[in-house]
Amino acid sequence: MKVIEVKNLSKSFKVKIKEKGFKGSLKSIIHPKYKIIKAVNNISFDVEEGEMIAFIGPNGAGKSTTIKMLTGILYRNEGEIKVLNLDPSKDRKKLAYKIGTVFGQKEQLWMHLTPMDNFKFFAAIYDIPEKEAEKRIEELSNLFEMESFINTPVRNLSLGQRIRSEIVASLIHNPKILFLDEPTIGLDPVVKENIRKLIKKMNKEYNTTIFLTSHDVLDIEKLCKRVIIVNNGRIVMDDTMNNLKYHYLNKKIVEVKSKEKIDFNDEDGITILKEKETNLKLEIDTRKKNLSDVLKLIDPENIIDINISNTPLEQIISEIYKDNKVEKLKK
Amino acid sequence: MKKYLFIYKSEIMSSLQYIENNLLNFLGYFMHIFIFFNLWDYIYSNPEELINGYSKCQMIWYIVITEVIWVVVGGRKLCRLISDDVKSGNISYNMNKPYSYVGYRLFSHLGEGTIKFFIFIVLGGMVGYLFLGEIPNLNIIQLVIVVISLILAITIQTLCSILIGLLSFIIEDSNPLHWVYGKAVLILGTIFPIEFFPTAVQKIAKLSPIYVVSYGPAKLFVDFEIKTALNILVAQIIYLFVVYKLCMLMYNKGVKRINVNGG
Repeated sequence: MKVIEVKNLSKSFKVKIKEKGFKGSLKSIIHPKYKIIKAVNNISFDVEEGEMIAFIGPNGAGKSTTIKMLTGILYRNEGEIKVLNLDPSKDRKKLAYKIGTVFGQKEQLWMHLTPMDNFKFFAAIYDIPEKEAEKRIEELSNLFEMESFINTPVRNLSLGQRIRSEIVASLIHNPKILFLDEPTIGLDPVVKENIRKLIKKMNKEYNTTIFLTSHDVLDIEKLCKRVIIVNNGRIVMDDTMNNLKYHYLNKKIVEVKSKEKIDFNDEDGITILKEKETNLKLEIDTRKKNLSDVLKLIDPENIIDINISNTPLEQIISEIYKDNKVEKLKK
Repeated sequence: MKKYLFIYKSEIMSSLQYIENNLLNFLGYFMHIFIFFNLWDYIYSNPEELINGYSKCQMIWYIVITEVIWVVVGGRKLCRLISDDVKSGNISYNMNKPYSYVGYRLFSHLGEGTIKFFIFIVLGGMVGYLFLGEIPNLNIIQLVIVVISLILAITIQTLCSILIGLLSFIIEDSNPLHWVYGKAVLILGTIFPIEFFPTAVQKIAKLSPIYVVSYGPAKLFVDFEIKTALNILVAQIIYLFVVYKLCMLMYNKGVKRINVNGG
């Protein structure tokens, strides 16, 4: 069942422009000039129930604007949006009962209250009867391992504990879709990993659809099976994580430490990334040269150490961001 | 309505965490009352003398009450909060919650003001009694009416601050407007009763929010008359309805113009 349907969605912002200096400031009062910025430009996609989808892109790509239109915060200019068969801008209140949102950089909790009081508050906001709310809070606090700090005021919690509380607050009303906008921003690697595990567990237990934006590639890699990459307001890639890894992953990194210097200078498909005495770091374009052919060029007797790795996913994504050349990468 | 009462209750619980701030604020309030007590003590040659219909005792009690409303509402902070919400786009994060932003801000602010109200009304009453040795003679029904009028005044004043804050949708920064409004209420109804001003100004002031947010309840406390009480309560109910509707209109029109870029 499709829970999100987006067709030809566009959103433009009118932004005031000002010439430089004091003169420009005065001029902008008398003759204000505006320019139209197309933040989202004719995008279409669907999301199935229970999917965990990453919606990523560089800063200013239009991902947050899209999330805000999907949650009814922003009005669209053109196109159609259906979230759980509701139009977010017309049925915003109705939709609010069915979706949850966590904006990593915006707090929704009351800082002076404990997570428990906050959860009760959110339960009341979502019209959940007291007994049902208590049961739900207990269930979620167990799932998110919150027993040790559920009665500590939010202002005294660590960032990781606060983010966990934020996510639980968004889940009190048992939403069908959870929108997570950079939920692990500012967290240390251990806490990040913990949050990811909990999100995964929640998706498994409640079949909650997860719509995630993040700049952290590990968030995307570990949580999502499907990735949509946006840039300049357009979708530049919509594919499964496996396809992204294997189709676009056509470069290997080979690091060799040898007894004697090896010369690869004239080999097509091999780029020397780093060379320091007998230490070499090579990038192999597997479309031009097989890895086994490269290895044949190295005398095994000469090798002290060798390490072969994939191009980091982060690099692949940033190449897609930079060049917008998805097709080229695919080939 | 239940959810708004929960917002109100949560804000009371939250403000109980920093109750000592209110006690410190009371020092500022006490200084104001002390200054005006000495000022009016100097102006009134004898306590029975009437200036514009007010005895010295009525004059001091008038300020005790209006200053309580002034401090409890503290509208400038609320206006700045809403104006910043509008300018930064933070207002949008309240939009996907199943409550009205205006209702949320109103009940949250009233919750914050409730603890302040009890502290200031009790301590303010004690200060007034300490300085004057007497309190206006009101029976229990009259007292209940004054309290209702006080609650309505605080609610309307809060809504007025919300409305001015929401004007940021149109004028970018509504804080200067609130400064002007705040000073008008302070001078024309808080530190001086309306009767102290020329007739033309009195007419304007009686039609303005000053009549219902400041002058009204204080006037009833110091000089209760059933006819005046009815006038003030009716005016307060009309103002409550109109200002609330204007807030909703401004919010509903404004959110369509929201531009939230980034993060």
